[in-house]
Amino acid sequence: MQKLTITGLVIFFALSLLVSGCAKKPADDTHGMMQETTQVEMEKNKPASVSETEVMDTSAADAAADAAAARAAERAAAKGLEQINFDFDQYVLTDDAKSILVNNAGLLRAAAAVNVLIEGHCDERGSDEYNLALGEKRALATKNYLVSLGVAAQRLSIISYGEEMPLDDARTKAAWAKNRRANFKVKR
Amino acid sequence: MESSRKKRWQQLQAVFGPGFKQMLLVSVLLHFILPILYYSPFFPQREIEKPPVYRVNLVNKIVKNPQAGRPEATSVKKKPVVKKKPKPKPKPKPIPPKPKPKPKPPVKPKPVPVTPKVEPKVQPKPTVSKAQNNTLKQRLEQMRASQKKKDSDQARKDRIAALKAAALAESRQIESPVTDAPVGMVDGSGDEAGVSASAHVQEFIQQQWNLSKYQAVGNPEAEVKMFYSADGALIHYKFITKSGNSAFDESLTRAIVKSKQLDQKLPEAMEFHIFFNLKDMLDRP
Amino acid sequence: MKYFTINAFVLIMLYVLCSTSYAARIEISAPGEQTIPLAMTRLLPMGVGGAKPAVVAEFQEVLQGDLELSGLFDQVDPASFLSDADKLGLRRNEIDFYQWRMLGAEALIKGGYSLSGGRLTIELRLFDVVTQRLLTGRRYVGQVSDVRQIAHTFADQILKSLTGEKGPFAAKIAYISKRTGHKELYMMDVDGHDPIRMTDHRSIVLNPDFSPTRKELIFTSYNKGNPDLFRKEIYTGRESRVSLKQGLNIGGRYSPDGREIALTLSKDKNSEIYLLGTDGTIHRRLTNHYAIDVDPSWSPKGNKIAFVSDRRGNPNIFIVDVHTLDVSRLTYEGKYNATPAWSPKGDRIAYARMDNGVFNIFTIRENGSDERQLTFGQGSKEHPRWSPDGRFLIYSKDIDGGDKSIWIMRADGTGGRKISARGGKDSHPAWSVHW
Repeated sequence: MQKLTITGLVIFFALSLLVSGCAKKPADDTHGMMQETTQVEMEKNKPASVSETEVMDTSAADAAADAAAARAAERAAAKGLEQINFDFDQYVLTDDAKSILVNNAGLLRAAAAVNVLIEGHCDERGSDEYNLALGEKRALATKNYLVSLGVAAQRLSIISYGEEMPLDDARTKAAWAKNRRANFKVKR
Repeated sequence: MESSRKKRWQQLQAVFGPGFKQMLLVSVLLHFILPILYYSPFFPQREIEKPPVYRVNLVNKIVKNPQAGRPEATSVKKKPVVKKKPKPKPKPKPIPPKPKPKPKPPVKPKPVPVTPKVEPKVQPKPTVSKAQNNTLKQRLEQMRASQKKKDSDQARKDRIAALKAAALAESRQIESPVTDAPVGMVDGSGDEAGVSASAHVQEFIQQQWNLSKYQAVGNPEAEVKMFYSADGALIHYKFITKSGNSAFDESLTRAIVKSKQLDQKLPEAMEFHIFFNLKDMLDRP
Repeated sequence: MKYFTINAFVLIMLYVLCSTSYAARIEISAPGEQTIPLAMTRLLPMGVGGAKPAVVAEFQEVLQGDLELSGLFDQVDPASFLSDADKLGLRRNEIDFYQWRMLGAEALIKGGYSLSGGRLTIELRLFDVVTQRLLTGRRYVGQVSDVRQIAHTFADQILKSLTGEKGPFAAKIAYISKRTGHKELYMMDVDGHDPIRMTDHRSIVLNPDFSPTRKELIFTSYNKGNPDLFRKEIYTGRESRVSLKQGLNIGGRYSPDGREIALTLSKDKNSEIYLLGTDGTIHRRLTNHYAIDVDPSWSPKGNKIAFVSDRRGNPNIFIVDVHTLDVSRLTYEGKYNATPAWSPKGDRIAYARMDNGVFNIFTIRENGSDERQLTFGQGSKEHPRWSPDGRFLIYSKDIDGGDKSIWIMRADGTGGRKISARGGKDSHPAWSVHW
């Protein structure tokens, strides 16, 4: 983990140096030296795809407006996507859940650029492994319903956390009901 | 091989003539009929002793003289039960394991000295360190006295004594309706006989046998022949069959070594065939 | 030839019938005492080097704890010990067995130790008091810090000489603890001593299993976002991902020969049980049902796998034959049966049943008969796993109020005791093979 973080930092540093090096032609010797060493560093680590960063360099007024609109929709989606709840040991969508999902589907259709991760969760009762599988079934049922409402399947990914991430640690019926859920995370 | 046998067969036929085959057949038939006849009513049946099944109440150990202390016991000497084998009346009627309010079995009342049974583990073994014996025993007593356990033991003993007294009082009031019930039965009478000797030996050896259920795997069984002199000393023993389970077999060896000397005499020198198994213990997951 | 056989048979029959011995026949169908009275003396200093009472006390505590858990013994009160307890004599002819007989002991442990330059030597003997034999003798040399390991190892040895099978005390327990705030993998001694954190994923680490053949563990972690199966070499600390399929890669269990891993995958949008090679390649799919199939557990022969499925409505234990893929149902009672663990002896399968939100541990035979409840009372008991010899079970117990920790008990449900310290929210124990 730590090692990876360091690697990531090194790559980032190398890329930023490259970009800055391209922008400003005149470079003194020491700078060149550093560039060289960082390149060596890069090769030693991983073949990083330099080209990907260059996509960002577009500057048209229309595009900016579009992007702003998209960002607004995205923000609306991130804010407005509501979680749904399930009955004990069930992954069938309740009527309440369906009406929430209809609303969520509308938000997602408006923000076409937004990709969403659907997380399936369970309450703490039951076996951990079984709940992981159950959480996944919940996430999948949610995804399938959204797809049926016209959200592109490739925009939706799922993950199950089983009973590992409860919203409420209490051992009450209300807490358990809150924890049996599928919620949405906007992916960038 | 095949031909030589045939040849012999022919020779035999030549010697005995043409009736040979029939003769053989009759012979075989007779062999079969014999055991059948043996069990038929034509033969007076000699009772074959089956291994008697004794239910032993572990709480109330067998006493030497089960009837001692009961009024009718004193006059019962006349019964000719001195024969080694019990009468052909193997009554498998078990002694009720733990009769609570009912008449207590006569195994209970015991004014007979039972001291050697209270501490069956303290088997005197005179061969080792005779000189130390007395001092050791004294020290042991001191140690024992200092044990906290002692208190609870004493309390328990008192309780048992009280229970016994109550049981005795109760049993005195009950008239025995059956006078000729076998020895050891609830309403029986009589003095120690062969049955109670082997019951006593069974009880004694069982008490010497230590085996944890966590040691026993499967359903081991072993058979041991033990020969005791009349004064209760083990003359020799022999494993007839071993279980093959070393923990089980070794626990038996220990039990036998600890049973070198019985705590009472036998009516005569006796041989015991002892079948050891774990039927009453193995009820485990 | 045929006639001869018949004749012989008849003769033998007759012989058996007629030869009634005059010996009294007795059946003894249970031992009078179901524990072995054991006298355990304190370690005495041997030769040069000063006394180290701390070492002696620690050794005593560990050995005593293990032997108590074994359930085999009834320890003779040391207060009643006589002069022989204070004599170092470790040889058969130096011991006054008569003293021990008087105390009612059948087994006797004697030992000595010496310390020189940080090296600890412990010499130990187990005697049969009745037959006056040496049952086992061992000499251990190590660091002072190895004293617990030495005690566990000798406890294993004692069990071996008294039961024919080695004990499991010198092994390790892997488990999941939330002590740092994240679920991480830990390892500790069988008595809960010396817990060490093995991972620093700061995500969610789940459900470890020891390799039966190598010093390594598999477990599931969300370290890279997805619940992937990881492998960790215990001594090098090297860690790698074994299975990183889309979706769940959970509940990994090494086959008894260590060559394959049974694992729940949901790569096809539904959780199914698969057999993987240790390199992560899929060898075989074992279940094929739209229901949830999780929690595989191998039979000791490696030919069957018990697992949890809700294919009949509620979660129950099923068994799949690895070769024929025939599935049979094992549990019928209760509404929620999960986390099967097949005994290494093969005779029983332990699992947890939930009733009113509370789990208890049960065992059942492979054919579905003789179901027994092992735990009762307060708290939810889950995640049963066997010791490598099948004599004990470890499990997690969650007492309402937040104390969730690892417990240990005998396979018959007796002798339960807590081994992991309070406050770790510990779960998912796994018992290693002999270390």
